[in-house]
Amino acid sequence: MVEKNQKYVFLYALIITFVIFNFGIFMGYKLESSRVDKIDEMYIEAELDLLDQRIQREAFEIVGLDCEDSIQANIDFADKIFNEAQKIKKFENANRMNSEILFQHKRFDLLRTLFWMNSIKIKEKCGADYSNVVYFYEYDNPSLEQKAEQSFFSNLLVELKEKHGSKIMLIPIAGDESIPSINLLMKKYEIEELPVILIDEKTKINEVNDKEDIEKYLK
Amino acid sequence: MEILPIIYLGYMFISIYFLSLFLMLYFKNRNFLFDVPKLTRKYSLSVLVPAYNEEDTIGKTIESIFDSDYLIKELIVLNDGSSDKTGEIAESFLKKFSKLKVINKENSGKADSLNQGIEIATGELIAVVDADSYPEKDAFSKLVGFFDDEKVGVATPFIVPRNRKSFFERLQSIEYSVIAFTRKLLGYVDAIYVTPGPLAIYRKDALEKIGGFDTQNITEDIEATWHLTKEGYKRKMCLNARATTTVPTKLKIWFKQRRRWNLGGLQCISKYKGDFFKKGMLGFFILPFFVLQLFLGLLGLSIFVYLITSRAISNYLFVNHSINVGTSVITMDNLLITPSFLNYLGVILFVFGTIFTIAVLFIMKEKFLVKQNIFNLLFYLLIYLSVYPFIMITSLYHYFRGIRKW
Repeated sequence: MVEKNQKYVFLYALIITFVIFNFGIFMGYKLESSRVDKIDEMYIEAELDLLDQRIQREAFEIVGLDCEDSIQANIDFADKIFNEAQKIKKFENANRMNSEILFQHKRFDLLRTLFWMNSIKIKEKCGADYSNVVYFYEYDNPSLEQKAEQSFFSNLLVELKEKHGSKIMLIPIAGDESIPSINLLMKKYEIEELPVILIDEKTKINEVNDKEDIEKYLK
Repeated sequence: MEILPIIYLGYMFISIYFLSLFLMLYFKNRNFLFDVPKLTRKYSLSVLVPAYNEEDTIGKTIESIFDSDYLIKELIVLNDGSSDKTGEIAESFLKKFSKLKVINKENSGKADSLNQGIEIATGELIAVVDADSYPEKDAFSKLVGFFDDEKVGVATPFIVPRNRKSFFERLQSIEYSVIAFTRKLLGYVDAIYVTPGPLAIYRKDALEKIGGFDTQNITEDIEATWHLTKEGYKRKMCLNARATTTVPTKLKIWFKQRRRWNLGGLQCISKYKGDFFKKGMLGFFILPFFVLQLFLGLLGLSIFVYLITSRAISNYLFVNHSINVGTSVITMDNLLITPSFLNYLGVILFVFGTIFTIAVLFIMKEKFLVKQNIFNLLFYLLIYLSVYPFIMITSLYHYFRGIRKW
């Protein structure tokens, strides 16, 4: 029979727990960091693409490049950032420790805003027949009702994008991140409540009772 | 970092800690788990059987006690004002067993009945056996050896469910095995916090020193164990000694039984709250362990209710919008979930918890336990244990309303 006092086991178990726990945290941090790295890569690629877009637009004005090519490049870029936005959303939902992802989100929002401006310009210069559909949503702390509404808006816009394809430039932007340029644009288009869908810088939609409510404004 | 992930991490830390603690204790003592203390001298042993309306089982209990291979000094049945034939059945054994005494008394509760029994018992050791429990033939002889150590105040065996055919009974048999196994391991660090009613042998001097059983406590066995711990007595457990007991067959009775256990625990926390982080293992392990269990259970339940409610409201609103407009409610994209590292940690912990439970069932060497199928095991881990926080809520309600009935 072992009758010796083994109370030191309490301490040993604590030390082992610290080791296992910290290893788990480390692995978790690594996992999340790898996701942030992936987003970082996507950002750099997107940034390059957008820069290329802007040069094309400038070149169109200065040396008269083909308008069709510029529109097509813009459409391709829109599809790309739409898919990336979906991926980033999933990573954000799954990241718990690495707050760098929030910073990345802001960078992407700025990039999308820049893209929106670019789209407006191309439409003006080339008379493109697509619609800019900018979706402003609450990012930081949406209420239950906002969450439900945003999930619904999100699915609805995805369906519209699938249906209309390159006729829609779908640009999701968080409207509550205190980014001055986005705030200024929201002020200009009198956006006070989130979520809201802004179509072609003219029509604001806060409430949708039918898909037609949006489709009738699309070109 | 948000508050919920921090709470989840806190739960994981505590789970890893207890898993590590039990694994270390197991590996350190695995060769001695089923050891039986040597019987170096004979102790005079009185057996007390408090009984209230136990006509179905009292006869078998008396026979199983007299069938013991340890010579008992006396068996005192304390018929606590039963309205059925418990007293008559017990008395029918008087001719057969000369060492049997039957005390028919007015109903005053189990603890008071036991205290009356302690007064008239003459043995050095007092075994308390529930009237629906049957000690195995060698249960007493395997336990009394512990009392060679003068500091031992109480010893208890492995309590095995007798009825284990139905699904619900089999779940309880898993639980009893895990409890017995962890109780044995806690014994190595002097942290046993209950010596259960079906069978426990007490040193009479120790019981007298603590003033007998607390008549105000609804679980007199838990209270007595805590009191003995406070007085510096050791509590021992022998996995090789067994007593069988009848476990509840209906959910409602099971729920009431568990609520009573919780209620008794709450009474003990209240009674001994002044000993927090004082008085050895009672203040440094047992009390904090019970309070932590209570806190984590309630916090977990609150978070669960909050998450479920907010998710339900949000989903209801979402589905409402979607159906009205005719958009899809579920898309492929919704189904492709990206797991967080907390999800991975949760799965790893669950897998370890399952392996631990399976290992316990194998170690306990009970054929009927080993035969548990994986469905029983998963149901036990995922559903059965999840009911405990709800029982805790009703126990708290009863506690604060002053309801103390069985």
